[in-house]
This record gives sequence, structure tokens and C-alpha cells, in this order.
Amino acid sequence: MDFISNLSLGLGVALSLQNLGYCFIGALLGTIVGVLPGIGPVTTVAMLLPISFTLQPVSALIMLAGIYYGAQYGGSTTAILVNIPGEASSVVTTIDGHQMALRGRAGPALGIAAIGSFFAGCAATLLISIAAPPLAAIALEFGPAEYFSLMVCGLIAAVVLAHGSIIKAIAMVILGLLLGLAGTDVNSGIRRFDFGFQGLADGIEFVALSMAIYGLAEVAYNLERKAEQGVVTRNVGRVWPGWADIKTCIPSILRGTALGSILGVLPGGGALLASFAAYTLEKKVAKPPRSFGQGDIRGVAAPESANNAGAQTSFIPMLTLGIPSNPTMAMMIGALMIHGIAPGPRVMTERPELFWGLVASMWVGNLMLVILNLPLVGVWVRFLRIPYRILFPAIVGFCCIGTYTINSNVFDVFVMGFFALFGYLCLKLECEPAPLILGFVLGPLMEENLRRALLISRGDPMVFVQEPISLGFLIASALLLVVVAAPAIRAKREEALQE
Amino acid sequence: MKIRAEKDFWSGVMFLGFALVAIVAARGYSMGSGGKMGPGYFPMLLGIALAGLGALLVGRSLVLEGARVTRLQVRPTLMIVLGVILFGLMIPYLGLVVALATVTAVSAFASRESRPLEVAALAAVLAAFSVGIFVYALRLPLTVWPAL
Repeated sequence: MDFISNLSLGLGVALSLQNLGYCFIGALLGTIVGVLPGIGPVTTVAMLLPISFTLQPVSALIMLAGIYYGAQYGGSTTAILVNIPGEASSVVTTIDGHQMALRGRAGPALGIAAIGSFFAGCAATLLISIAAPPLAAIALEFGPAEYFSLMVCGLIAAVVLAHGSIIKAIAMVILGLLLGLAGTDVNSGIRRFDFGFQGLADGIEFVALSMAIYGLAEVAYNLERKAEQGVVTRNVGRVWPGWADIKTCIPSILRGTALGSILGVLPGGGALLASFAAYTLEKKVAKPPRSFGQGDIRGVAAPESANNAGAQTSFIPMLTLGIPSNPTMAMMIGALMIHGIAPGPRVMTERPELFWGLVASMWVGNLMLVILNLPLVGVWVRFLRIPYRILFPAIVGFCCIGTYTINSNVFDVFVMGFFALFGYLCLKLECEPAPLILGFVLGPLMEENLRRALLISRGDPMVFVQEPISLGFLIASALLLVVVAAPAIRAKREEALQE
Repeated sequence: MKIRAEKDFWSGVMFLGFALVAIVAARGYSMGSGGKMGPGYFPMLLGIALAGLGALLVGRSLVLEGARVTRLQVRPTLMIVLGVILFGLMIPYLGLVVALATVTAVSAFASRESRPLEVAALAAVLAAFSVGIFVYALRLPLTVWPAL
């Protein structure tokens, strides 16, 4: 059995003492930033990219991945106890979770969130190990035309599922692609968009750009808004939910896991979308629907399972196709590229220890998180007392150190300063930065595939519609755009994203 | 002409600005042909598309009602960027401790709530922590103290 030998290879990697340590650090950091509002997994992963440079690639990925799914656990803790979503993906958990806490049922809410997350994490890990190899095998057959269209489709889907204006989001993707092209062109050796700066010869440093946007600009934007204050529920009570609670939640956990797993794979998906969709679905199908919004435990179980499943399955397109479905995955690709590994279908065959080690570490990490989170809830809640005025200068400082150490080049620090200004303006103008980051990562790849596809077809652009798979991706992209532009569906989408 | 949707209008202007830079720069690179794309081909394509979207946003903002831009708060962004620039200027010559303490202290005043004593303590703790982690544990190539 390939499957068994793959998993045992992965477990061998993930269970090495060193990788267990990095998995633990990732899960721990993830939990902490999950608890802390105002600093999320994307910012943290961005800040740790430079450190990951000093690690083995597989250890780096294991740690960074731990941050992402660890944050899903941490985020639910504050959502339930304090009514502050530590992460955007726990927003819906506040609805029923905090109501449960107010009714003295904080313990079972935390417990079911952890159990649901753990189950979803295990199921998603299994799904990755089953679905990824055939997907990568298909992707290996892709020529440049298929790849180009796949990227178009991925970017469009990411834009459609992001909230806010579609036009702005597409413009941000294109701007991201353009920024990604800066630096020496591999084919002609010409330096593009360097504006005479020696420091731009290798292009805009990904770490500088991502820290500017997800570190500095976010800090500046957060400082503008009034800090939310919540009431900490002191009495957590018994954490383990009763059998009756568990029985009520089993269908919700299963539904949440299934929905989350599917939505995680979609471009633009991931934890955030999964949790919203799962809550909406739960309200529609759960019987009896009586008490949603008033502390229904299923309203915690479903979205918490979904966000963890989504967080993990969003690794599938990144690992098999090299296409990031959300900014965190773009960071992962950045981490791989720092190590000189081009993400794509070849990773699985050429670096099996990397792929399977990461997958196995997710399972190990989820186990650690359950152990970390349930007994230590009281400790995490205390992190909420750290005021933001202490936190943010530390974020700024770490961003500076991180960007500088990547190349020991001061120029990167100035680039970060510039994009911090730009990122702040974008946030003020409601231009989502996520599409920009996705575009930035894909820019050079997209150009290369376009060039190759047109080279093979001798300049005939019809090649993109003549290849059936490529045509399929383009039709899918067009459909997505039409669907979003249609007024009726648009209203529905706004409604869904509002909830 | 009245700007009805401020956010759209200014985003459109921003995209048009970037598109202009892209198109002007791309004109300096060889365009090539479809079958043999030059370095200017893809950037020009993207620049034109971005300009189109920018123009669409500007045009639409004159017709459709939309959100106003909330007042720009200069202080947070300015202090943070100032801190970052000072860090960049100092780090090669004055070392990690001085540069980090400076960026912490300067950026802390992005918030009105920061208190001088607390900031001093934070700067000291962060500097000690970073030297421990980045220099001793991770062995990153950073100078710690000013080279005298």
C-alpha cells in the first residue's frame, strides 16, 4: 500500500525530535496569536519567514503550518470566553459560543470546539493524503497553457470569494502580478521596474512586502480603531462536554468537517469562508433549529470543525499545484522559495519527505493542540491582558529585524517602509491586500507559462481555448465572474458575507 | 463633476498611477511578438488592464454613490514608517541593540496611549530578547553593538 508507506515515511519525519519541537513551537505560537486580537496567523507567519530560513525546509513548513491551524484553536478560545474573535475565522463562533459562556457553559463550548477541531483536523489530514497524490499526478501532465489558465482561474476564484469590490480585487491581483515582475527578467537579463535601484535587481523581497502589509500597515490601521473590550468569563467550569452534548454535535461536526474540507481546497477559501458557510448551513439543516444565537452548542461545533478542516485542506492546492489559495499559503510558497524549492506537483515525487512529513505533522500538531488548549485555557486567556500598546512596537521591531536579516540588506527595510505606507492606503480605501499577495507570488510563474504556451503555439493565443483542460479553466473563470456580476447572486453573496 | 464614491475614486486614481508607471517603464523594454514574448510584453498587457480597471473605478465613482474615505490619521503610519527608516539607517553602523531600541521607542508613539517609562522598559526587554534569540540562538549575522 502506497498510502501506508507514505504515511509512515511522513510520521518518521514528523516524529523526529527536532520536528516535534518545531511542530510544538508552531502550535504554541499559533494558539497565542489566535488568542490575541490584532495579530493573526498571516502576520506571524510573515514575521517568522526569516527565521525559517535557518531551518531545514521541512521543519520550517511544519512550524509555519502549525501556526496556521493552531490559530484556529486559539481563536475560538477568546471568541467563546470574551466575545472577541481572536481570528476572523472565529467570528461566527462568538454568536453561540459566547452565549453558552454567559449561561455558564463555557467549558462544554471550549471542549466541543477542541473536539470538533481535532476530528476535523484528522479527517482533513486523511483527505490530503488521499487526494493530493492523484491531483499532483494530473497536474504533472499540464502543459504551459493549462497552467496559465489554471492560474487565471485560481486568481479569479480567490477574488470572487474575497469580500469587497470585485473590480478593486482584480485590480489588486494585477498590481500584485506587476510587482512580482520587478527585478531581473530570466529570459532577457533585462532589469524591469528597478528604477535605478541596485537593491531591486532581484525584485521586491517577498518578506519585506508581506511584513509591510500584514505587519506594519495592519498595526497602523488597528491603532486607528478603538480597541474592543470584552468581559472575560471567569468561570470556565468543567471542560469536557457531557455525552448528551457530544451526541447532539456529531452530525454538526461531520457536516462542518465535510463542508470545511471542500471549501478549503477552493482558491480563496480556507478557514475563514469555511466557518461562515458551516454556520449558515447548520442553521438551515440542523433539527430542531430552535436555539441558534442563544447558545446552541451545534453553532460552535460546526464552524469550529469547518475552520480547522478548511485551514488544513487549503494546503492541497499549494502542495500539489503550487497555487496559493489564501495569503497564508502564499507565505508558505514564499518559505519554500526561500529554500530554493519551487512548489508544484513535482514536490511530492522529488521531495516526498517534505510533503508527507508536513501532512503527518498536521496530525501530530492537532493532537498537541488539544492537549495544549483544554487544560491550559486559563493561561491563554491571560494573554488577553497584554495591551496592544505593548504588543505593536514589538511587531514593528520584529518586522524590521526579519526583513533585514533575509539578505542583510538595508534596502529591503526601506522597501518595507514604502509598502507599509501603500498598505495603509489600501486598507483605508478598502482594497483587500490578499489578492495582491497572491498575484505577487504567481507573477513570474504566470509570465513564464504564458511565454511558453505562446512559444509552442507560435504566437497564436487560440491555444488557450483549443486545449480542453485549459478551456475548462477559462470557462470556469468566466462563469465565476458572471455569477458574481449577476445582481441577484450578488445580493446573496453580500448577505452571506455580512452574516 | 462630483465624486460620489470617494473610496472607489481614490483607489481608481491609485491604480491609474501604478498603471501609468508600468506602461511607461514597459515601453523601455523590448515588446517582442506573441510567439517570442519580450520582457515588455506581459507588463504592458498588465499595465493596460490595470489602467482599464482604474478608469472604470474612477468613472463609476462619479455615477454611483459609495463610501467616503474616513479621515486619514497621519500619526500612526508616520511614526511607524519613521521608526522603520531609522532602523534601516542605523543597523549597519550602530548594531542591533541601538537600532531596535530606536524603532521600538519611535513606533511606540504611534499610539497616544504609550507612556515613556513603559516604552523604555519595553525597548530594553525587546533588545535583550532579540539579541538572545536572533544572535545567540539562531546565529543570524547581526552586529550587536556599534562598531567603534
